Amino acid sequence: MSEGSNKGPLEGQGKPIAGAPTNAPGSTGTKPPPPPPGPAKPPPPKNPGFVTCTIDGKEVVAKPGTNMIEAARQVGSDIPYYCYHPRLSIAANCRMCLVEVSSSPKLVPACQTAISEGLSVKTNSGVVKDSQRSVLEFILLNHPVDCAICDQAGECKLQDYYARYDFMPSRLEGSKILKNKRKVLGPLVVLDQERCILCTRCVRFMNEVAHEPQLGMFGRGSGERIDVFPGSELSSNYSGNTVDICPVGALLNRDFRFRARAWFLSEAPSVCTGCSRGCNVFVDFFGQETYRYRPRENEQVNKSWMCDRGRLSYKYVNKDRVQTPQIGRSDDAREATGAEAVAFAARKLKAISHRPELAVMASPLASNEDLLACLAFARDALGARTVYVGGRPPGEGDHLLMTADKNPNRTGLTWIAAGLGLALRSFSDLIDALDAGAVKALYVIGGEWPIEPVQPLAAFQRSELLVVQAINRGPLTELADVLMPASTHVEDEGSFANLDGIIQRFRRAYPPLPESQPHWMWASRLAKELGLTTAYSSPRDVFRQLSAGVKELSTFDWDKAAPPAQHVPGISPAPAGADGRPPGHREWGVPRVRGI
Amino acid sequence: MSNPPISSKNPADVQPVPAASELEAHLPSKRMELNLGPSHPAMHGTVRMKVELDGETIVHADPEIGFLHRGFQKSCENGTWTQCLPYTDRLNYVSALMNNFGFLNAVEKLIGVEIPERAKFIRTIGSEIHRIADHLTCIGAIGLELGGFSAFLYCIEARELIVDRVTELTGARLTTTFGRVGGLNRDLPPQWLESVLKSLEKIEWLVGEVDALLTNNRIFVDRMKGTGRISAEDALDFGFTGPCLRACGVNYDVRKALPYWIYERVAFDVPLGRNGDNFDRYLVRIEEIKQSNRIIRQAIEMIKPGPVLLDDWRIALPPKPEVYGTIEGVMAHFKLIMEGIQVPAGEIYDCTEAANGELGWYLVSDGSGKPYKVHVRAPSFAILSGIARMVEGRLLADLIPTFDSINMIGGEVEQ
Repeated sequence: MSEGSNKGPLEGQGKPIAGAPTNAPGSTGTKPPPPPPGPAKPPPPKNPGFVTCTIDGKEVVAKPGTNMIEAARQVGSDIPYYCYHPRLSIAANCRMCLVEVSSSPKLVPACQTAISEGLSVKTNSGVVKDSQRSVLEFILLNHPVDCAICDQAGECKLQDYYARYDFMPSRLEGSKILKNKRKVLGPLVVLDQERCILCTRCVRFMNEVAHEPQLGMFGRGSGERIDVFPGSELSSNYSGNTVDICPVGALLNRDFRFRARAWFLSEAPSVCTGCSRGCNVFVDFFGQETYRYRPRENEQVNKSWMCDRGRLSYKYVNKDRVQTPQIGRSDDAREATGAEAVAFAARKLKAISHRPELAVMASPLASNEDLLACLAFARDALGARTVYVGGRPPGEGDHLLMTADKNPNRTGLTWIAAGLGLALRSFSDLIDALDAGAVKALYVIGGEWPIEPVQPLAAFQRSELLVVQAINRGPLTELADVLMPASTHVEDEGSFANLDGIIQRFRRAYPPLPESQPHWMWASRLAKELGLTTAYSSPRDVFRQLSAGVKELSTFDWDKAAPPAQHVPGISPAPAGADGRPPGHREWGVPRVRGI
Repeated sequence: MSNPPISSKNPADVQPVPAASELEAHLPSKRMELNLGPSHPAMHGTVRMKVELDGETIVHADPEIGFLHRGFQKSCENGTWTQCLPYTDRLNYVSALMNNFGFLNAVEKLIGVEIPERAKFIRTIGSEIHRIADHLTCIGAIGLELGGFSAFLYCIEARELIVDRVTELTGARLTTTFGRVGGLNRDLPPQWLESVLKSLEKIEWLVGEVDALLTNNRIFVDRMKGTGRISAEDALDFGFTGPCLRACGVNYDVRKALPYWIYERVAFDVPLGRNGDNFDRYLVRIEEIKQSNRIIRQAIEMIKPGPVLLDDWRIALPPKPEVYGTIEGVMAHFKLIMEGIQVPAGEIYDCTEAANGELGWYLVSDGSGKPYKVHVRAPSFAILSGIARMVEGRLLADLIPTFDSINMIGGEVEQ
């Protein structure tokens, strides 16, 4: 409580002002009257500095102010909730988390009530169960029969809680209230007002986290609904997060809508490559296709959020990929096998190696492992001393997460170049060098085009040799003499260093597309072709062999830093049967061992 | 080296036996190894019997199984509890209903629910008509393989009536997949009990014919009596159950020992043999057909209309109008189909009396919608392991009726 002057009769108690006499000042000096017999003093805290209470018969010790949901979680009691979110303010409007406490004759919302000393909480008594059932019945009363066509089905808290806490038939007589079923709120989000349970998580998120109050509650009673303010739209760069935190299928991602059923998708912990922030994400994939990114919690980097640009940045993983190796420039280009491409590139590179006309261009989109292997190869086999930086062109940043640098690993590239003793120079320097004829041959790691507009430059057309390892088609792949398809970060293990210098590991979702290979593997094959003895079998191997030379990477524990392969420990939660997975499907390519 | 074994004699050194003294030649004393099966018509299912013969006497018999292995137990771990049900059809495929109901019974016990009264009656009737079918198949096969084709035809005619009734009930002749956790997926078809009674009359007559054809038939009795004998102690040691154990005189029937469904409420006798030979096993089966008949008739008398499935949407699917018309129904349906019945964590052994004996289920649940472990104690497996004891020292010809009378079913032995 702050020191406001208009305190209620109970407020401010138990906070004696330091040094004040126990009597009222200005007393006449007579013996003070005996204090009136009040209620018994509460016992001293069992654990000083902490609050100790009992939840479902188990003792819980937590910091003062901890709410009951978080406290109950410590002892394995799950209190259901819809509107509560640990990173948002408390609304306590869904009433799903009502629990029985010893201090109140009525049920109290667990999200809003902090635990207190000696309190006894019951989360699964008969009264609580009745309340949970009634709340669910009420919430479901006007919910449309939409599971079959709803994107949220399979990851919906209504379904989960209904099966766990209600499982009773409908008692609705008459019809449900109809509202707008497809209200387009903004470029990324569409709202189904009938499905909405009015928990206001989205409104609170936009107000408190994104600081762009674009959503509000409108109407009253049965007509109450979430909407944007008249004449405006949900245009925030963080609108996608409202879809994530929506506990039901009301807010939907227009990019993902109707594209996949949630239970068909597998997830892999990864890192967003949309900008240099490196938000932690889950890659949701099916087969060899990425369907969406979802933010993964990381207190240091992105909390529970990510921006819309990053959310949509997965698309390059699927579209416009370089499919096959090619030999020959422009019109002479012909498809080749990987081995032919490597042999051809090695022959051409050997002819010009250890000469100043040969330069290297590296993209900060590549992972640390890719850069380590490729740059070490360029230094040792090609005699390169300078690395020109490619990558994606800079864009705009914003007030929360998105940064102006659209490349996830510029920090890593800087570190590695320094560690290997290579000088870093800009792309414009490269153009000057090509124009001046100082550079005639180029070994390109990552074909991203770092300047606008995206079109081939005469300077590159003048070059004599372009060996390009690229993920997507672009100006450089059009001009390449040898083109080697590279795989993306979701197709391999690896790590990025974000703009704050935090090194983050990502896990493989699925194997590289046919004929594409990670940069490090191309480099390894080229090195072998050129007679080097270096050989790598995995990105882990690359890191183990080469990271010692880079100061910042040398202390990084590659294995330990990897996020766990499974989101939920234990046996795969994937539903059985009719799930579209091939038989014997293993989530991460590694057989999961259990029960040895 | 100085004393080479006799068998190492170079075949080239052996002088050809003169034609004149052919009849006086010694019979070869070398033991012969003979393979029966896996694709031998008398080796039901696909079991290979490696038999070592001394003349015509079996010295050693070694059944080799696995040709019908499907990975039943492991497959169950990859499906929901409900999805295991079709796999159970393929255990003892001659009496699939008994496997279905036995499995469901075990799951229900693990959950701790009691199925509706009518479902108990229907499960009993279904089990008993399939017990008749199983015994008819066994007897028919014995008759056929001992040369009595008429008995086989009578048996199969009777069995065909049962298959027709089962088809009406479940929609399938063989792979019934009938019943669900918590009861049955559908009630009896109209007039079904009447047609069962009519079929039973016909079956009674047909079994009487078979009885008359075989039981006092000299050829049949000579092949059956005293062959394939096993003592009660040995049978118990091998883990025999069902008719094969009762033919030894051991009074053990799960229906009496650990009554389930309605077996406490119906009167029936457990026939016992005395000698534990093929003939007693045959007689026990003939008598069990008659007792099953009795049970079915009593059950049909006692059955009352009512629900056949539990009304608990955590266990049983909601009715379709609820699924299509209410959000509660569609969500309950979705959860049950996609994630399965959330069977509480725990383990259980439960058994029912199947046609060949105690069909036991050891189930472990980790609290998810899928079984953590399904182990099935198939009655035929234990019985097949005793076949060597039953035929060793006897004639090769005795192997056939012995193998028939134990009624080994490949599907449940090899799983």
